[in-house]
Amino acid sequence: MSIEVNNIKFSYGRIQALDGVDLSLPGGAVGLLGPNGAGKSTLIRILLGFLVPDEGDGDIFGFDIRTRQTDIRRLIGYMPEDDCLIPGMDAVSFTSYLGELSGMPRQEAMKRAHEVLYYVGLEESRYRLLQTYSSGMKQRLKLAQALVHDPQLLFLDEPTSGLDPQGRKEILELILDISSKKNIQILISSHILSDIELTCSYVVILDKGRIASRGEIDALRRMDYSLYELRIKGGKETFLQDLNGFGYQIEEMEDGLIRIYVPSDRTPRDILETAVGRDVQIRHFVRSRSSLEDLFAKVVGAD
Amino acid sequence: MSIKEKGYTHWDGELESRRFPWSPIMRSGIRLTFKKKFFKLFFFLNLIPAVVYLAGIYISERLEDFEFMIREASMPFKVNPAYFNSFLSGDYLLFMIVMILVFAGAGLIADDLKHNSLQLYFSRPLKKRDYFMGKTSIVFFFLLIVTLVPGLVLFLMKLIFAGNFKFIQDYPWLPLSIIGYSVLLTAFFACYALFLSALSRNSRYVAVMTFGMYLFSDILYAIFNGIFRKPAFALMSIKANLQQIGAAFFGVKLPYDVPWMYSFVLLVLFCGVAVIFLSRRVRGVEVVR
Ligand SMILES: Nc1ncnc2c1ncn2[C@@H]1O[C@H](COP(=O)(O)OP(=O)(O)OP(=O)(O)O)[C@@H](O)[C@H]1O
Ligand SMILES: [Mg+2]
Repeated sequence: MSIEVNNIKFSYGRIQALDGVDLSLPGGAVGLLGPNGAGKSTLIRILLGFLVPDEGDGDIFGFDIRTRQTDIRRLIGYMPEDDCLIPGMDAVSFTSYLGELSGMPRQEAMKRAHEVLYYVGLEESRYRLLQTYSSGMKQRLKLAQALVHDPQLLFLDEPTSGLDPQGRKEILELILDISSKKNIQILISSHILSDIELTCSYVVILDKGRIASRGEIDALRRMDYSLYELRIKGGKETFLQDLNGFGYQIEEMEDGLIRIYVPSDRTPRDILETAVGRDVQIRHFVRSRSSLEDLFAKVVGAD
Repeated sequence: MSIKEKGYTHWDGELESRRFPWSPIMRSGIRLTFKKKFFKLFFFLNLIPAVVYLAGIYISERLEDFEFMIREASMPFKVNPAYFNSFLSGDYLLFMIVMILVFAGAGLIADDLKHNSLQLYFSRPLKKRDYFMGKTSIVFFFLLIVTLVPGLVLFLMKLIFAGNFKFIQDYPWLPLSIIGYSVLLTAFFACYALFLSALSRNSRYVAVMTFGMYLFSDILYAIFNGIFRKPAFALMSIKANLQQIGAAFFGVKLPYDVPWMYSFVLLVLFCGVAVIFLSRRVRGVEVVR
């Protein structure tokens, strides 16, 4: 386990950004999925030591995140969420400069900068001033600087934001290449499910500062709950309470639609029987598609 | 822009732990400053006072050659500690130092704040201290070149022109004063520049402030002194404070009738406040509460 954290809590003043996060991440590529404001970036910043958690502890490669930051940062590469650059530099000097700051010898950093810039597809514009870069180019540049010192663990915060479809595909391919063939562990944060599905084997779904769900993507995808949508008339409160008692997850939509997630070891008969018992009329009853997308939607409570 | 077939390759070198992890910051900062428009020309202008003072030393040693210009009795200056003091804390040099800060200091932190690059630094094995050391060393580099280096060169040239060691026998402590005062001046201006640079994300504002605060503090003194006629108001002026300390370092009469210790304490306090402010302001994430 390269990353382990226990009960991390963090608040920015009155905003509780993380509210008790436990993680123990396997190797390979891990997706950190969650809607805007879920606390993904905050979690990464805590792992990097930019923020000190109010509560909880953790370690990366066995180094305590509170006390051994310097050791940790030697081993990781970080691609921040927002645009960042150093004005007056071109891509080559920027990338090699950051490589040097990581501890690479100067010549090597320079050589390596050319390599990674070529790898991320910036070789043609590598001598242009960074202020003139488009946001897609800045995105690639951020990836290049995260890779320059050949880290063992990469934190990528929203790596595809600001990219056109082609650029997005390319970046995802790069990430897949790095994680699958090159034995580098990756933690990718995103609010886009398909980005995570394409690149990761394990996913952690974060919502409102808590972990809503986690697991191997394949397992989650296979996870055989069925989704039923129904509309009813009368006695809703008690009906739903009873179903809750069975362990069903229930979602009420605004237009009166009720979505019920039935675990694989139960059957929808329970729903019908309860309805009969409670004298509830069922007006509409459909089995709906169930996929990872639904799971994501369900755990984060979005449609 | 297309993805290359080659794929990702590992780097087979080894990361080293530098004794001075901040040295790349210094190097690249100096390089970026020299790349600024007009900076080279401007920096060159800063050596003018040194040349003038050097000429002064030469003339004072070769008086007989210049008798057609000045008669010995009316020799306007003498090369002594006061001469060095007037070089290092003269209005012109101090003004030029502030101008160097406008070029080389304003963007040091402001640009990192503006372009979110602090997180790039702090995701590397760098401590906050290293970051500040790197940025400070850039200011030190430029300011020591216009203070300490010419100061010591002038001293040496005095010995060489005189052809004997009488000068050093008369003032054996003078080299120490030159070193001490140059370093103090530079340290203060480094705090001054970094403090202002961290106040804003816009390096243009910072440039204006760097220049403005220096001038304004002196004007304030002039106004108050004009009204109340109290030399203690000199403590309001950055320039006056520096000149007080300079006079104390070189053992000459204080230009303002206030104990120089006050000026010293003031500047040290300022630097203390600056350091505390900087260490709070500079962090991987800006937390907005
Ligand atoms: N620097 C900050 N100062 C104050 N509050 C912050 C700061 N950064 C984030 N927050 C707040 O903390 C919460 C979690 O934010 P965070 O950036 O971690 O979410 P996220 O999952 O990365 O979202 P996104 O997908 O939009 O990047 C949000 O409510 C946000 O408003
Ligand atoms: Mg984020």
